[in-house]
Amino acid sequence: MNGERKEVPWVLAAKTGKIGFANRLGRGDRSPLGVWFWELDRVLLSLMMVLIAIGLLAVAAGSPAGAQRLSSSTTQLSSLHFFYRQLMWVIFGVPLMLLVSMYPREQARRFAVFGFCIFFVLLALVPIMGREVNGSQRWIGAGFAGLQPSEFLKPFYAVAMAWIISWRLKDPSLPVLVLSSIVTGFVCFLLLMQPDLGQTILFMGTWFALMMVSGVPASRLWGLIISGVVFIVLAYNFYPVATQRIDAWIFGTEGLTHDKMALATLTNGGFFGLGPGLGIKKYSLPEGHTDYIFSVIGEEFGLLACMVIAILYFAILVRIIIRLLDEKDQFVVLAVTGLGAQFIGQAMINMAVNLGVFPSKGMTLPFISYGGSSILALSMTCGLILALTKRNPYLDRSLYMVKG
Amino acid sequence: MTPQTARTTTRKSGVGTPPFAAHGFWRLLVLLAAFGMFVVLLIGRLATLALFESSRAYGATSTEYVPERGDIVDRNGVPLARSIYGYAIWVKPADLLGDRKQLANQLAAIFPDTPAAEFYAKLTADKPGYLRKRALPEQVKQVHDLGEIAIEFPREATRLYPQHDMAAHVLGFVNRDGRGAMGMERVMNDYLRDPSKRSTPLNLALDVRVQAALESELASGMAATNAKGGAGVILDVATGEVIAMATLPSFNPNRPSFANIPDLGQPIVDGRYPISRQTNNVTNRVYELGSTFKPLTVAAALDAGTVRDLSVRYDATKPLQFGRFKIRDSHPSGRWMNTPEALIHSSNIVTAQIADTLGAARMDAMLRNLHFDVRPDIELAEKARPLYPKSWDRLTNMTVGFGHGIAVTPMHLASAYAAMVNGGIYRPATMFKMKSDAKIPGKRVFTAATSARMRQLMRMIVVDGTGNQADALGYRVGGKTGSAEKPGVGGYSRNLVVSTFASAFPMDNPRYVVLAMLDEPQGTEASSFQRTAGFTAAPVVRKTITRIGPLMGIIPDVKRDVDVSELMPLLWKAKGEQ
Repeated sequence: MNGERKEVPWVLAAKTGKIGFANRLGRGDRSPLGVWFWELDRVLLSLMMVLIAIGLLAVAAGSPAGAQRLSSSTTQLSSLHFFYRQLMWVIFGVPLMLLVSMYPREQARRFAVFGFCIFFVLLALVPIMGREVNGSQRWIGAGFAGLQPSEFLKPFYAVAMAWIISWRLKDPSLPVLVLSSIVTGFVCFLLLMQPDLGQTILFMGTWFALMMVSGVPASRLWGLIISGVVFIVLAYNFYPVATQRIDAWIFGTEGLTHDKMALATLTNGGFFGLGPGLGIKKYSLPEGHTDYIFSVIGEEFGLLACMVIAILYFAILVRIIIRLLDEKDQFVVLAVTGLGAQFIGQAMINMAVNLGVFPSKGMTLPFISYGGSSILALSMTCGLILALTKRNPYLDRSLYMVKG
Repeated sequence: MTPQTARTTTRKSGVGTPPFAAHGFWRLLVLLAAFGMFVVLLIGRLATLALFESSRAYGATSTEYVPERGDIVDRNGVPLARSIYGYAIWVKPADLLGDRKQLANQLAAIFPDTPAAEFYAKLTADKPGYLRKRALPEQVKQVHDLGEIAIEFPREATRLYPQHDMAAHVLGFVNRDGRGAMGMERVMNDYLRDPSKRSTPLNLALDVRVQAALESELASGMAATNAKGGAGVILDVATGEVIAMATLPSFNPNRPSFANIPDLGQPIVDGRYPISRQTNNVTNRVYELGSTFKPLTVAAALDAGTVRDLSVRYDATKPLQFGRFKIRDSHPSGRWMNTPEALIHSSNIVTAQIADTLGAARMDAMLRNLHFDVRPDIELAEKARPLYPKSWDRLTNMTVGFGHGIAVTPMHLASAYAAMVNGGIYRPATMFKMKSDAKIPGKRVFTAATSARMRQLMRMIVVDGTGNQADALGYRVGGKTGSAEKPGVGGYSRNLVVSTFASAFPMDNPRYVVLAMLDEPQGTEASSFQRTAGFTAAPVVRKTITRIGPLMGIIPDVKRDVDVSELMPLLWKAKGEQ
């Protein structure tokens, strides 16, 4: 018996400090990577990876239509052009997400606040040195190095606002709500200048979610809702982009418009779809690989697949919120709520636009639509969510912990 | 073992109070519920879209081709009429730069069918106008190369009849305002222009292959007999569907005549046919169809019981004198004949006697049941009113019995023959393709027993009688000849006849009625110097059936036939004749 007794792997690892390949990232792996993996919300990570995989498939389906549209007599784009580009962005994006998720909470917060400052400045620079695409000025820089500051600002904004609001715990006398409203108002003003109504609504929605969870009295929340309605009415009356979009949505439009084509594409496949690559109507749909990718999925993979995607987004939110329910750190609760509401809210708005429930606005379907800026910014969002929700799952449950 | 009791506490009690401000916990749940409600809304919308609105176009029909005017196709989907965009050539004379005389000559060189003077007139007109309503792209290029800026090339929706002259009378054409002016284009104008329906082509019962065979055989029959015209119709006996309907000579619906261009017998120039060619002779012209009425008379007599025994003989030794009117046979046999013999040899004398015993009232009733007193039952608008006897005296009844004194369209006769052979049910003819399981309403006109008997008798006419030139080998054709003299100035003309052959096949289970008519055939070598239908129209029917039988899935079989053995002994034969 002596010496022949087989050690349990983690006991062995504890003794020798070495661990076999089979047990890498296992319970006994005490390396930083092993600890990170153990503390990570792996279910959430898997849900996000599934979304990215679906996104690659969907971009492959939507790519031929976009490639055909952008091809000219001199330059012929490969029909999977956008798929290859998306694959490249995913190859950059996924490691970025994992890297960000490795930050400890404090460093994640510092990273986000620093990012917020940089991109806030960049956003302010857009009206001065921005580039105009499709009638709105959203991009900064040129070509491959071009980026949309508002996309990257989104996750950093959520974390930075959460940080500002959480100051209140240290010193209740600080006017954090006023401060956060001023910052939000300025960001929204810059976005409306571009003009980018969709992003404006998303930032305001994020801010509202933060207000709600931070414990603002219900009366004030109702006040915010009412002022939101007033804002929309004002936008309808005085902001031409909104007038045009909302008119088109309520009164319908003459002739062939994007939303009609999107609905025709979406419903063309019925419940089960025409099959991958067999879509017909997608070719007449502009932006089939970006804003209207949900319709292309509907045509090729069926409306059941669309339902599954909607449920998948909701599942991510459920997972995040459940994790937050017994979280004590208010900064984490606020930041993750903001990030999650932003991520899922964007998905819901995009799907609603595709289904003709909302008026059209330029917004991508997170992780599914094609777009470099979008993928990298979303990787950042998810990386931050993963970093902030990371913890030892048994820490709280131990009866031997000293409760504060 | 010590029982492990350390972890019996629940998770909640382990955590203690909610981790932060009490309403934060609930507000997270409210947020989640709000998103949850939104997801339910989205999924509900997806489900309603899938259940109730799938394949709705939402006005987004860019991938579908919706023509300005619906297509017309034959029963197999072959296009008969389509809408395309064509070039027109338009001139604004006031803006012309070049020399008009020279320009007119250059245009005439490009369009040789229009004289230069006509172009010159248009180039010097006060107002802008079309130089040419339709032009081919290469012609447009040539005109463009003339470099005249006052000439424009607007693209206009136009109607194209890819089969040219084929079935022109059925299809008709559209006028300059794009409205149907004749044929199905006229009748179905509103349907073809309806934006919600015009993406689905109009499906006619016509079969272009059969139509082509009928037209080509009629044309060669006309050529062989120097006939002035020809007409023909092929009808499905069970459904009344018109499989083919032809009037020759035809016209080109791509270039119809709107002006009254008389038929001077001159060669066609400029694609402009005489307007008389646009008359549909199958439905819009009445004829005294002659002997082809005899089977109808016999059928009515069998139904009424006035002919009970087919072996009863009637006196045909001499013309039948009635008042100052004399009924005679064209080929007098000079003997007594029974009913089958009367049909086989087409005896006017015997048929007149059978009609007389039948009586005018029953004759009138039978013909009215077959709708011979009203315009033919067909969707076309070009329908002639028959010349139906106003009073039924004895003589009228007797002449109507062999097809004189009454004028109907060939369409009437084809529908009547269909009823006679299909078991006795009259069904209105239709230009539309019927669904294979459609129940087509009908009315009984003859008893089933009479119908069966008539099939035998009609088959015998082809096997042993005047119709033997129509016997397409293996197709069991049965039918009746009819050579009616045309009424001319001062009575009937003996030299000008309308010869008709009305038939059905295969007689053991009739599927189609085939009717061919030649207008004023001449006795030529090809017709053994005869004008009668047996030598002119009957061969057209034989050749047509030989061509269309295989297309319609009817297998020629020389071993199959309708059983006529019980009737054969009734035919008198000279001693030694087989």
